Amino acid sequence: MTNRYVYGVMNDDPVEFETDAVGGADRVYTVSHRRLNAVVSDIDTTSPEETDEDAQRHDDVLREIMERDGGRAIVPMQFGMAFESDRALKNVLRGARPAFRRALNDVEGRIELGVKIVREEDAEVDDDAVEEAVADKLESIAAQSVPNDLFSDRLVLNRSYLVEREDREAFDDAVAELEEQYDDLMFRYTGPFAPYSFVDVKIGAQQ
Amino acid sequence: MAASSGRRPDSSSLAEVLDRILDKGVVIDVWARVSVVGIELLTIEARVVVASVDTFLHYAEEIAKIEQATAEGDLEDLEELEVEPRPESSPQSAE
Repeated sequence: MTNRYVYGVMNDDPVEFETDAVGGADRVYTVSHRRLNAVVSDIDTTSPEETDEDAQRHDDVLREIMERDGGRAIVPMQFGMAFESDRALKNVLRGARPAFRRALNDVEGRIELGVKIVREEDAEVDDDAVEEAVADKLESIAAQSVPNDLFSDRLVLNRSYLVEREDREAFDDAVAELEEQYDDLMFRYTGPFAPYSFVDVKIGAQQ
Repeated sequence: MAASSGRRPDSSSLAEVLDRILDKGVVIDVWARVSVVGIELLTIEARVVVASVDTFLHYAEEIAKIEQATAEGDLEDLEELEVEPRPESSPQSAE
């Protein structure tokens, strides 16, 4: 297995640990270029199949890293970023170094949390008023937020928030207060996730 | 200060993980993942995390420069392209 499956990029010390990795490997380690470390495991393909199990493993590895040493920063990859070789991977770390460094700087010390607010089937809800109340409460605590797709008309709000680790409890409390205030609405409060929604970096090759 | 609510986010939802992992995060196209020799990389950062509209416009301008440089095949200039650190100010979404 000479291909490398990449979970994310960090700039702290290298790591190595045993776990159930994507594609059947049992060890996660780092491939480095200067101070950037790609968190990888061995794999025998450059286009891994999307399965629920492997998606979960990808996420579990990122969570493991995020919980290390009191909370490390990692720039998460989308599922499926497998490289042909260490050389190809290092070439990307080198070529896109400024982008990785800026993204790491953006997410340092922060986690992603998700809030979905759902109405009952026939409930009359003033979406704008809810949105404003939620923004008043949460935006001042969060470092940043982005809207997600309102894929159902029962969804009143669907956002991801980037929150400083130290503000996490204040954010929990603010969500709880909103839930109390709107006890006829269902709140889905999820995370913490690696900051997937707050790194928008695309790297291509000139052909 | 009121006692903590004890409210915790749910970390066990596979659907929530899939929403993110299949659609977000860093994307590297297959040519950059399999090729090595003499390859020119092209990086596009949408910079979701911006502190103000001014900063966002600044990034938008930089991205336009990247696109222009790409169109002209003038990739060497990209090495020099640096974006100023964003000022710390009130959070704003980059919608």
